[in-house]
Amino acid sequence: MVLAAPASIAVVGGGVAGFSAVRELRRRGYAGALTLVDPAGLPYDRPPLSKAFLAGSLDRLRLQLAPEQWYEDNGITVLADTVDKLDAGNGTEAPVLALASGRDLAADVVLLATGARARRLPLPGMDLPGVFTLRSADDALALQGHLASGAHLVILGAGLVGAEVAGTARGLGAGVTLVDPAELPFAQAVGPAMAGYLQSLHAAHGTEYGRGAAAGITSDGNVLRVELADGSRLSGTAVLVAAGSEPETALAEAAGLAVDAGLLVDASGRTSHPRIFAAGDSSRRLGPDGAPGRRFEHWDAARRTGEAAAAGMLGAEPPAGTADWFWSDRYGVHLEVAGSMAVPGQTVLRGEPGSGFMVFRLDLNGALAGAAAVDGGTAVRAARKLIESGRILDPVLLQDPAVDLRRLARAKP
Amino acid sequence: MSEGIRVADVDEIDEGEALTVDAETAGTSDDIAVFHSDNGNFYALNDTCTHEDASLADGWIEGDEVECPIHSARFCLRTGEALCLPALINTKAHRVDVRDGAVWLYPNESPLNA
Repeated sequence: MVLAAPASIAVVGGGVAGFSAVRELRRRGYAGALTLVDPAGLPYDRPPLSKAFLAGSLDRLRLQLAPEQWYEDNGITVLADTVDKLDAGNGTEAPVLALASGRDLAADVVLLATGARARRLPLPGMDLPGVFTLRSADDALALQGHLASGAHLVILGAGLVGAEVAGTARGLGAGVTLVDPAELPFAQAVGPAMAGYLQSLHAAHGTEYGRGAAAGITSDGNVLRVELADGSRLSGTAVLVAAGSEPETALAEAAGLAVDAGLLVDASGRTSHPRIFAAGDSSRRLGPDGAPGRRFEHWDAARRTGEAAAAGMLGAEPPAGTADWFWSDRYGVHLEVAGSMAVPGQTVLRGEPGSGFMVFRLDLNGALAGAAAVDGGTAVRAARKLIESGRILDPVLLQDPAVDLRRLARAKP
Repeated sequence: MSEGIRVADVDEIDEGEALTVDAETAGTSDDIAVFHSDNGNFYALNDTCTHEDASLADGWIEGDEVECPIHSARFCLRTGEALCLPALINTKAHRVDVRDGAVWLYPNESPLNA
């Protein structure tokens, strides 16, 4: 069923996916009614929440993806409201969103860009004052007051959020203890060589690292105590639980849409319902074979799937897929990663751990599957191109810092 | 405008590379990046990304688009349109001609093929 030009579109969620979708709809010339609903109101960007915004060097206004005027100029209605219920209908009539304010919003087509929430650990003490998770601007503001000099933050989980907040907190003068069940956190995502280098940054910047899983949190006046599964104890003035995220799929599930650890969508972002699309962290794309793929939680994936859904809602072909790409900043170091570093094959190192260090993963055929770089400029962009090309590459060329990856990527095979 | 600014010989800018003409020489508020794309064409845009302070001349040049080296915002090389986040604001495109084996820039003139 193709709805070539829906008269109205409603987008639920004002993250990068929802914002990119409304922007792309207008960019493609869509002239119908366009409404975006998010409890926080105007869409804002999340990567700075663990970095510049948390550090207080970026204000709330600059966190916005676009100024208020932009929505006026583009004829986009933003409702600061919560969607309590989605009545999807049988496909012939317009779905209806029941809003917390009491209003019903009907739209020919609905895009669910509901994102994800911070995963809570099933621990005693998760709700104690001084125990935080980080997902929204309000979360960041709440945590911010606990990062001054003299504070000591215990972070449970050394993934992107945990490691970045460790860097920010150290920069503000707080002490940090970082705890993770993994011996080498992040090894799956960036490969062991790059994970080892990133891990060494913690010690180099005075962040204590401990391997372990939390078993419970107790409060003793101004001090929080974290007990680990092995019986050892840590204490701090605040605890951040950075244990990953879970997709927000409650609305979709209640509406009867197909959900399997994420809202299942095709390449155009279409769900199991013809008038409902999904994009971003809450969505999971079905492969050409019909099997659900990985649920990506990165900024670039949210942007791309938002844009693809915009095309899909207009009955247009979605743009061609690109290699997954993400970045992270901690302790003044800029990391970029493209593709997959975990496929069977061979690892190739380029340069020494430090600025300019790069790690490549070649698959069993010798084609590039993944690349990770520290302060690599456009090297990872070139690697994305090489990954997308599927070309067989000579490891000797990849490991030579004198070989310009941009030229290699542009060379005709 | 008269005959423009002679930027370089055609073979001085490899495909996929760019040069900048500083604002003072160009008589503009921003430096201008002159791109030689992998499609063989030359283009010119204001050099500074409209999102954050980065030089588009250092970006990834492909087809009629350039991607900012820092946050991957993409701009249309023909029109200066900001194509995706994190950039929201369009940049300015300038006219470029190839004549007598050289690349000529016409600051503040609209590209002919936009």
